[in-house]
Amino acid sequence: MRTLADGLTAEPGSVLYNRCTIDLADLSVSFEEVPCRNVEDVLGGFGRSFQLLAKRNIQDAYVPDNPLIVNTGVLTGSNVMTAMRTYFSGYSPLKKSDKGLPAAMWAASSGKFGAKLKWTGLDEIIFEGRSATPVYAVVSHEEGVPSIAFKPADDLAGLTTHEKIMALHELYPDGHFAAIGPAGENYQNVTMGAIALSTENQLKSKEDKCRFAGRGGLGNLMGYKNLFAIVVCGKDRIPAMTPEIRDVNRDLIKGETSKKFSPIEKGGGGGTWALYDGLGAFGAVPEYNFRPRGEGDTEKLSRESVEKKLNTKAEGCYRCGVRCHSNIFEREADGSTGEFLAKFDFEPLNLLGTNIGIHDGWQAAKLVQICDNMGMDAISLGTTISYILDYNSRHPEAPILGGVSFGDYEKIHALIEKTGREACPEIGQGVKRISQQLGETSYAMHVKGLELPAYLPETNPGYAFAIAGGHMSMFTHMNIYRDGKTDLDYWVNAITNVGLYQVGMDMIGVCKFVGIFVNHDIMVRGINGANGLCLTAEEITAAVRRSYLRGLALELRQGYTDDEYSLPSQIFEYDNENVNLPKFITPEFFAALKERVWQVFKPEMEGLLN
Amino acid sequence: MKIEIKLFASLSVGRFKSEIREFPSGARVEEVVESLGLAEGDVGIVLINGKHSNHKDALSDGDVLSLLPLMEGG
Repeated sequence: MRTLADGLTAEPGSVLYNRCTIDLADLSVSFEEVPCRNVEDVLGGFGRSFQLLAKRNIQDAYVPDNPLIVNTGVLTGSNVMTAMRTYFSGYSPLKKSDKGLPAAMWAASSGKFGAKLKWTGLDEIIFEGRSATPVYAVVSHEEGVPSIAFKPADDLAGLTTHEKIMALHELYPDGHFAAIGPAGENYQNVTMGAIALSTENQLKSKEDKCRFAGRGGLGNLMGYKNLFAIVVCGKDRIPAMTPEIRDVNRDLIKGETSKKFSPIEKGGGGGTWALYDGLGAFGAVPEYNFRPRGEGDTEKLSRESVEKKLNTKAEGCYRCGVRCHSNIFEREADGSTGEFLAKFDFEPLNLLGTNIGIHDGWQAAKLVQICDNMGMDAISLGTTISYILDYNSRHPEAPILGGVSFGDYEKIHALIEKTGREACPEIGQGVKRISQQLGETSYAMHVKGLELPAYLPETNPGYAFAIAGGHMSMFTHMNIYRDGKTDLDYWVNAITNVGLYQVGMDMIGVCKFVGIFVNHDIMVRGINGANGLCLTAEEITAAVRRSYLRGLALELRQGYTDDEYSLPSQIFEYDNENVNLPKFITPEFFAALKERVWQVFKPEMEGLLN
Repeated sequence: MKIEIKLFASLSVGRFKSEIREFPSGARVEEVVESLGLAEGDVGIVLINGKHSNHKDALSDGDVLSLLPLMEGG
């Protein structure tokens, strides 16, 4: 990315980014420098990719015309702390409207891949078409001038995400990697495949500490394209640190914003695992397919309980001071740290633990590990499994999948591996599909075909207006806990004036765990300081808003009807007395909320897909 | 008056999870927070008897005061 201006600029047309387009059908490659059309092009990520997707008429995710867009944000590879993000965009095999049309989708990941990609001189790679045979792409550079090569990937077939990455690391010791697992290759049976990105910690320790772009099954789009991995290699080109960026980093690490994700021993909140205690205060940790029982089971996977048997260690991404990773290791007989098991974030821990009746830390860690190794999205996988377990508990006379039940670790582990490697479409194609097939949709925890994360649907009407991950593209999932507000005005404002701006962090290349939005003064200083820009907070805010609304407009274009902007109907039918929060989402409340939100959004959406 | 204090997540580290303490009649939440060595900014959520409250609210004998840190998911 470069600017044509002599000094600072706020004119998008004077900013150019570098795109590489690859046609996998004939492995042809072209490079171009593209002038930005608007501020969202400058910021990057899904703000740019969704404009490209809007130009495609895609009826099925598995067609050659559905591109896999790999891009970065304006800060990826800069010296701003956490600026490591890579974005993968395309039409989703998983998230589909009731008309069967795929929704535009993006997934984001940390890991060093994004920075390495940026340092090759490229801001974006568009993979078109489909290779006839499995390949991997190698992106390298000579002083920032990129080149692309392709290699046969037959030897990578069937390897786990971690095994693929370590095999490639042997061949490309200065490289970083994006790879799919067996589930990504198995695209006919799986639509929740993730893309694993390598980390410095993983390559040095040889432990399976990938990061994942998980949501929406873009790993399966990659599998459909017969693209098993992407390698970025070449010398690191870390920019010179400037006083402005040093100040930005100081403000990020010393402010309160990221503290909640930092290690407890450093005075922080201990990462998202702390939500076991926090949501537990309200009885709202999901259990048994999002129906808390209030029997004290959630405490068994709290940090305090798990640390009685397993060792934990706070670690972080490359050059990140937040250190949000709560990594779990076996404990040897002498108390020393043994084999690495998994990283405990709230979502995978809950959805592959408490919410499926698993209350043992080691078992939960092994389920997270097998999910990661197969290369599936832990949220979609866990939420689909919890539905099946719930179905079986309601139908003991005619269960499915061998009668697997809540807490049955051995069977669940085997089913996850079978889903990834063989054929278990009941799980692999997500909860919307299986619930419709079984004719019991009320307790299928998804919105618009994308499985819900580990926050009860009766606590968050904003889920309906998330355009990608339910808690990562509409920042309302913690509102009821934080504010306790239940009135319509509050929630209309929360969705239309606050929550939507969360998606800005999936444009600029910085991790959400810095704890602020993209239009915060610190981020604005970072964006401008690292790129020679002079964008205002207002210009950035407007670009993020347009990008969000473009996503919403794309959903409507792909056939979503008003009825699909909904919540699992169980919440209207069932009052869980174990949850100590007001029950405020009645059918009447939700209908009124939708009407008022659309009144705000729809006029603004006009013309955004042109 | 007696107040049952419940601390959650990182706020309980090095302190306690639940304890009953004596405070002068009419004490406010902020005084309890200060007595625990916490800054107001350390506390993200205040509940009195399970209801969302704030640092200026006065407590009554027998109240259960729950304090939670700022939390986010991800």
